[in-house]
Amino acid sequence: MRIIIVDDEMLARAVVREYLSEHADAEIVAECANGFEAVKAITELSPDLVILDIQMPKLDGFEVAELAGAGPRYIFATAFDQYAIKAFEFHALNYLLKPFSQQRFDQALAHARANVGKGAPDTAVGNMVREAAARNKPLGRVLIRDGAKVHVIGSDKIDYVEAQDDYVQIRSEGKSYLKNQRLTELEGQLDGEQFLRIHRSYLVNIARIERIEQATRDSHVAILKDGARLPVSRSGYQKIRAALG
Amino acid sequence: MQETSSGRRGAAIYMVVWLFIGIALGGVISLSSDTPMANAMLFAIPINLVYAFAAGYSAYYLCRAYPLGSRRPLSIALVLMATAVVCGILWLLLGHAWNGLTMLPGADWAGIVITRQLSALIVGLGILLYGLAAALHYIAIEFVRAKNAEQRELESLLMAQEAELRMLRTQIDPHFLFNSLNSISALTSQDPKAARRMTLELASFFRQSLGMEAHKKVTLGEEMVLIRHFLAIEQVRFGQRLRVEEALEDAALACLVPPMIIQPLVENAVKHGICNLPEGGTIRVGARRAGSMLHIRVDNPVDADMPPAPGKGVGTGIGLANVRQRLAGAYKHEASIHWGRGDGGFGVEIAMPAQTTEGED
Repeated sequence: MRIIIVDDEMLARAVVREYLSEHADAEIVAECANGFEAVKAITELSPDLVILDIQMPKLDGFEVAELAGAGPRYIFATAFDQYAIKAFEFHALNYLLKPFSQQRFDQALAHARANVGKGAPDTAVGNMVREAAARNKPLGRVLIRDGAKVHVIGSDKIDYVEAQDDYVQIRSEGKSYLKNQRLTELEGQLDGEQFLRIHRSYLVNIARIERIEQATRDSHVAILKDGARLPVSRSGYQKIRAALG
Repeated sequence: MQETSSGRRGAAIYMVVWLFIGIALGGVISLSSDTPMANAMLFAIPINLVYAFAAGYSAYYLCRAYPLGSRRPLSIALVLMATAVVCGILWLLLGHAWNGLTMLPGADWAGIVITRQLSALIVGLGILLYGLAAALHYIAIEFVRAKNAEQRELESLLMAQEAELRMLRTQIDPHFLFNSLNSISALTSQDPKAARRMTLELASFFRQSLGMEAHKKVTLGEEMVLIRHFLAIEQVRFGQRLRVEEALEDAALACLVPPMIIQPLVENAVKHGICNLPEGGTIRVGARRAGSMLHIRVDNPVDADMPPAPGKGVGTGIGLANVRQRLAGAYKHEASIHWGRGDGGFGVEIAMPAQTTEGED
């Protein structure tokens, strides 16, 4: 079984390493001290199991699981996060409370081992990750995985978001990023005071609007500060009028 | 002691006031008729002093029996009015009796003629004075009540402070506790000596913080001992990621501060600063004394990519608000706390009166 250990504390990783040494079939393929490394390692090494700390710098455990996807099985570890513990219980997820004993660790490992290779993706992890994102809203930043690399975009740096089927294209500082998420879901996570759905396919940062122009007799376009022109629907136009006063 | 002496002084002032009223009444009687001054005074002063006691006590019990706000004001006013009228009439009767008594010896400096007008004046004055006595009693009762309320408020404030510190002590971040235990768990097999050192640091930290009392200030030096235990524990967890720099003047270390007023700031610096930085950073604690003020500063680097947004970093404000509240409780407006982000870091600055002995405040 190929395993990645993710924890920002050296001693915490050491405990896991020590407990794993009891299991001959466990192969530690990587140890990561932060979320970026973890996403990269999980993407590149596709391990069977990730033992993942929740509280970490840059990206927390939920965000790592969200970005890295439901390929591997996860065992979450936390010292004291009552929300997370409730969520683990609710979604029947495999978790460890620090400090944990070898027996408790073996149980969690056995549970994970039973599920490894079953193929069916772990929907519980996805559900919990979505729930965690909902709890953190409005989002102060958007995370985008681009291969093994993670982009962190502050929501105030976003110009606009365009829907593209199951994806959204996020435009920020002259660059475009694709994220596997529906526009309506992202709209719900961002700050409604800051972002306005001006069209079925467009979510715009209000602060980026330069002016609104009449396009045809009954349609408008929003001109952004960088010159981009976005279509505005009729209901979107009313929303802009209300927001800009 | 103070209570009775101030009560005695009050009674003396009360009697002097009535004495003057008596003299005034005598003067009025003497001037409004042909009665000689001596006769008028002999009549007026004694009955006034007697009335001072009678009306005073009667009004006192009445005010006790009918405290303001207990019933409708109208019914209290009616009761008072009726009693005042009765007392006024009784006073007039007393005046007649006293006048008769003084005339018995037949001396020409005693006895006056009680005319109709004088009777009306006495009854009217009696009613007025009774009302005045009642008003004074009500004021006195209200005053005592306000004083008691203030006292109670002060006591409850003290109790609240004590409770707050107790809460602070028990609410020592559970993350801190469980992560420390996890570190010990790791060290026991790898480095038993380090595990023991960490256990001892934890014990010292908890022993000192549990021994603190809310109303008893500690020197900044003692507070720093607690902070160093805390940081030593966190340094085991974070290793090279957590670095500390101290810039503490000796004059500042001797100053008294409320217990556990700086520790939460350092705890925040670790939790919201170092914790979010993969490479860690340096926490700076500085203190200096400038004249009558003590300035304390805690700085920590923060993750520049992490916007101070809701969701992340919640609770930053709670610990600081608590420190601000406790400072205000201890020093009123004389202490201040400011915090802000800038230059890749977060800084908190406290200014408070520099005290070296308890009770200067």
